[in-house]
Amino acid sequence: MKTNNIIEITNLSFGYRNQQILKEVSVAFPANEFSVILGRNGSGKSTLLRLIAGLLPHCKGAIRINGIELNNLSSAHRAYLVGFLQQSHKPVFPFTVKDVVLTGRAAFIGYLPTKEDHIAVDDAMERTAITHLQSRLYTELSGGEQQLVMLTRLIAQQPDILLLDEPISHLDYNNQIHIIKLIKQLVNDGFTIISVLHDPNMAFLFGDRFFFVDDQKVYADNSSEPWKSPLIHKVFHNSIVPVPHAGKMLFIPSLQ
Amino acid sequence: MNRKIFKWIVYLLPLPVIMLSLFIGPSGNTGLSALVKHLLIGNESFNPELAYNILVNVRMPRILLVFFTGGVLAISGAALQAVFRNPLVDPYVLGLSSGAAFGAALGLWVAVIPVQLSAFTFGLAAVGLCYFMARKNKQVSIVSLILAGIITNGIFTALLTIIQVLSDPFKLQSIVHWTMGNFHNADWVKIQTAALPMFAGFLILFILRWKLNVIALGDEEAASVGLNPRKLKIWILLGATLAGSAAVAVAGIIGLYGLIIPHMVRMIFGVDNQKTLLINFLMGGTFLTLIDNISRTMAGFEIPIGVFTMLIGAPFFIWLLKKSNAGWE
Repeated sequence: MKTNNIIEITNLSFGYRNQQILKEVSVAFPANEFSVILGRNGSGKSTLLRLIAGLLPHCKGAIRINGIELNNLSSAHRAYLVGFLQQSHKPVFPFTVKDVVLTGRAAFIGYLPTKEDHIAVDDAMERTAITHLQSRLYTELSGGEQQLVMLTRLIAQQPDILLLDEPISHLDYNNQIHIIKLIKQLVNDGFTIISVLHDPNMAFLFGDRFFFVDDQKVYADNSSEPWKSPLIHKVFHNSIVPVPHAGKMLFIPSLQ
Repeated sequence: MNRKIFKWIVYLLPLPVIMLSLFIGPSGNTGLSALVKHLLIGNESFNPELAYNILVNVRMPRILLVFFTGGVLAISGAALQAVFRNPLVDPYVLGLSSGAAFGAALGLWVAVIPVQLSAFTFGLAAVGLCYFMARKNKQVSIVSLILAGIITNGIFTALLTIIQVLSDPFKLQSIVHWTMGNFHNADWVKIQTAALPMFAGFLILFILRWKLNVIALGDEEAASVGLNPRKLKIWILLGATLAGSAAVAVAGIIGLYGLIIPHMVRMIFGVDNQKTLLINFLMGGTFLTLIDNISRTMAGFEIPIGVFTMLIGAPFFIWLLKKSNAGWE
């Protein structure tokens, strides 16, 4: 089976002044699937997403989206292709939810939002079922609701690829499940989603493809049973134990 | 809806306030009662030529200048708050005002450089200096920006003092008066020199008013939706500095005014800059015109208007500081 890769990264290296983060990474992400990136804190997962999102400039290696090098795209054109969701967003001003979602349309907006932008915002809010929150103040929402609003903003942006950096890390369990199911739904609707997750259960229960970041490299796992991948030990060492469940594998912390 | 009524008040209030302010002032000849008396029953002591002169050449330019100054200070403050994601800044807090004041004084003193241009240049230098001093690890925290503002203020106040020391006593007095925030020298010439930068600043910010919302969410949030945050910030800072330093060049330092108005507007109308930019301008203009009326008439002499705005603004600032949990992050 030949998969259609929407993102192709070749020989990508990136580092800060005195610290190499990624070294000669070559990896490809498939279209219309839910790719999960696993890795330890500080392994470079967020950096990888930010590079793909064009938020960090890369000079060594290539990142191609639909065959086009990212550096050759204008920032607006890039925003039509990729959108990025931060781990959490710290608000300063009490914007209404609708105003926050509307900012997702910036690439389409010359000076002021038009009717079309408002329609896109309404659609996005319906999709994530937050229409009832639209006049509430973003600053007064719970962490879960805020994350839902920022995800809605990303949907209003309508990029082909959604990059999510630990989207559920500081949410309660109900909200984690709610958001991850929403992500699944978005993949069914045709979006390509690449997400960093820490919880192996969430990853293997819901993800389609798995990528492991370790020691400045990114490894793809293409097996049908990714939970058997030896790469898991690179990320989790021996701290988790697999438990079979409903044809999938659950992981529990090792008690030894 | 309450907001709608308030909006109409803000839109409709400037004209009557400006009209009424024309008849407020120390000259008994042009009080409203004297005028009405003259028109209705005739008044021998009324001097129409003098009245015309006071109204058209003294009060009219002053009131217009006060109105525009108040308006541009308010939008300058609102834009700076959005760009720095910091509800506690305005042209005064960031040192823009003292930079522009030094620039203007330098222009007055050297007399070769146009005052407005010099004020803008040093206003911009002050904002840049403040920003780079506050920046650490690509982040500008709320508190460090305010501290950097204090230092910027200190630097330009010191430079201004040098000019004051070098000036002759007569010039010194006018510089001191002017730095306190003052309109008593207003005339049509001042309006002419200030109109262009004020209008340019207003226009830039008015065009970018929706984008202020995007940048107010953060640089990365703006970049990820397809804006170039650096380019956008430079334009907004240019607009805010043009407006702010033009105000300082004609009226001196009107401290904290750019902080007070955007907050009052936010409390009534919310934070959407697309809706509130014009409201900020109109409310800023109206409110400063009212304060100026007080400063013209409260005592036998004129109290500098900056005194009032500081006295109103200081408790406001403290209240905001307590409320906003300003942190170092």
